[in-house]
Amino acid sequence: MAAWSATCIFIVLSTTNPAYKAAVLVAAVAALATGVGLRRMRGVLTGVVLIAAFAVLLNFVSAHLGATVLFSLPDQIPALGGPYTLEALAFGATGGLTIAAAILAAAPFSLLLASHEVMDALPASLSRTGAAIAASLNLVPAVAASFVQVTEAQRLRGWRPRGPKSWSEIVVPVVLTSVEGSIQLAESMEARGYGSGPRTSVKPRRIQLDDWLLIGASGAAFAIFLISQATGWAAPWYAYPSLTPPAIDATPLVACLLLFAPVLIWRSRS
Amino acid sequence: MVAGPSGGGKSTLLRVFNGLVPHFHGGRISGNATVGGLDIIATPTRDLARHVGFVFQDPELQTVYNMVDREIAFGLENLALPQREMASRIEEALHAAEALHLLGRTVRTLSGGERQRVALASALAMRPRLVLLDEPTSLLDPEGAGSVLSALMGMVERGTHAVVSEHRLEPILPRAQAMLHLEGGVVVEVDPKTWSAQPPAPPIARQSAIGAEAWSLAKVCAGFGSHVVLDGVDLAGAAGEVVALSGPNGGGKTTLLRLIAGTLAPLSGAVGRRPGRIAYLPQNPAALLHRPTVRSEVTFTIVRAGERESPEAILEALGLMSVADRYPRDLSSGERQRAALAAVLPGAPSVVLLDEPTRGMDSGARARLVSLVAGLRDRGAAVVLATHDAELRSALADRTVNVGGGRALEQPREAVLL
Repeated sequence: MAAWSATCIFIVLSTTNPAYKAAVLVAAVAALATGVGLRRMRGVLTGVVLIAAFAVLLNFVSAHLGATVLFSLPDQIPALGGPYTLEALAFGATGGLTIAAAILAAAPFSLLLASHEVMDALPASLSRTGAAIAASLNLVPAVAASFVQVTEAQRLRGWRPRGPKSWSEIVVPVVLTSVEGSIQLAESMEARGYGSGPRTSVKPRRIQLDDWLLIGASGAAFAIFLISQATGWAAPWYAYPSLTPPAIDATPLVACLLLFAPVLIWRSRS
Repeated sequence: MVAGPSGGGKSTLLRVFNGLVPHFHGGRISGNATVGGLDIIATPTRDLARHVGFVFQDPELQTVYNMVDREIAFGLENLALPQREMASRIEEALHAAEALHLLGRTVRTLSGGERQRVALASALAMRPRLVLLDEPTSLLDPEGAGSVLSALMGMVERGTHAVVSEHRLEPILPRAQAMLHLEGGVVVEVDPKTWSAQPPAPPIARQSAIGAEAWSLAKVCAGFGSHVVLDGVDLAGAAGEVVALSGPNGGGKTTLLRLIAGTLAPLSGAVGRRPGRIAYLPQNPAALLHRPTVRSEVTFTIVRAGERESPEAILEALGLMSVADRYPRDLSSGERQRAALAAVLPGAPSVVLLDEPTRGMDSGARARLVSLVAGLRDRGAAVVLATHDAELRSALADRTVNVGGGRALEQPREAVLL
């Protein structure tokens, strides 16, 4: 899974071509839909759409460059004045595509894998660190719940948000409660011998055939795209000064299509 | 058994047994102590862990992993037990904790009592000779508490020693072979056969009649996402009346309090409440403590509420004068509970909502709380208590409502005493 996520993120960040970014995004959505189901993905998808939309809007309103003017605002308006162009919209959309694809490529680690599965995959020398991280992740939901509880309780004591300083009456108790919770968890870990020396593992993770297939497909995708970048087959794309369609070459596209491997592997398993 | 008033040193004493005091918490220590032939000052906690297990008070703050078998294996991994021996040890520990049916479950889906039994199994998996339990049932409903105490008794019968600190002594007192009473750091050995609990706080006769309706729920549905906690609930409370909510953890008592407080909107139906300040003690009251002293917590609320009351009145009423100038988060769990009560109750709130107010409290503190709440009741406050504490209900409640399975079922109104 790590190999697949890393390859997706490498392709998305190394190319400026929106065609290949879109292919990676579709592969990530398909893989998550197969592994997790669209219902469980709703929260992540909503967040990703909002973040990507913000990136598009930000570039559209701030970059007054490009040949195809859609409309203009008076130049006297600070920051917002000037021509609003199709090129700026397209460039912002490419940025949003990058963010969305990168987030969804990393999403399997929270949606598909339990924290202990990720920690179990770490080498033995990092076993103690992995246990500490797994324990910390268990505290994250408690921090969110604590924020809600503290806000409600303080509101009933007369607290109202009146500027940044007033938020200290919320943030301070939330932070203190979280620190105390982590101390109590650390106490529990120490009371069970944590830190007493080398550790064994109840379930040493063995790499299965499906894992090798996914690693192989991801490795091949990585290599093919890297070569495509070096030889110029994966042509870059730039929105400015005037919009042109991105060039698509078969070789880097094959690399992106290899990222659909999880869909095939998991479907054949079920 | 270890008993005594809150803040007396019970938790500190238990932590000496496995070296958390002084190795984890620091501080000053003198004298000597041995457990299983090991000097606790010379031996680190992580080495003592092979001989002494510990079950803490809060079931939600002891979990490293989210799978039951993985969680129990945590201690075995720390001991570098060979992987081939772990499966049998995990099953052995779950059987000893009367929790074998929880194998393969996700910890987050377990009840409080089930989580505490998993915590007990996690300790037993390491085959300690002694297990320490620091108020293991104080955050549990009666059913959960009963299951944990049953597992504890079974463990003792099979030969593992236990040292238990509890305020609710009656269930295990008959089985105790020795008892220590701890107050102000001084330990006195007591014969458990002759020790008798303080009598429960008697009901305080009311000084005023029950008044007009102060809050109401009409056909209220409430929940989170697709999970409905309360379904079509009709309930109301009056000024000068104490309504007690009983029922299992997760049954909807806290949800009902939040609806009355106005911090949770219903999915459908209507919630009404009279004007005036609402005093609300949340389920984790320490969460709202952030001022440098207990006194300043009380003053904070008085000033914000526009009241003129002196903080000493409520500090005195809750027995907090001796700790008034201390940092609230440095107090024991029972003292912290009282500090949180002092922080929300001063002045003249029109509605008082208390979620498990006697958690971690000894009988003396409970009696003070009964007196304080009775005073608020007599001054016309509408009081709603969510509590497992049967003594508190019998001392204060005019009505008891059982909340669970989406319903809120009232019991008959008791006679009003003048």
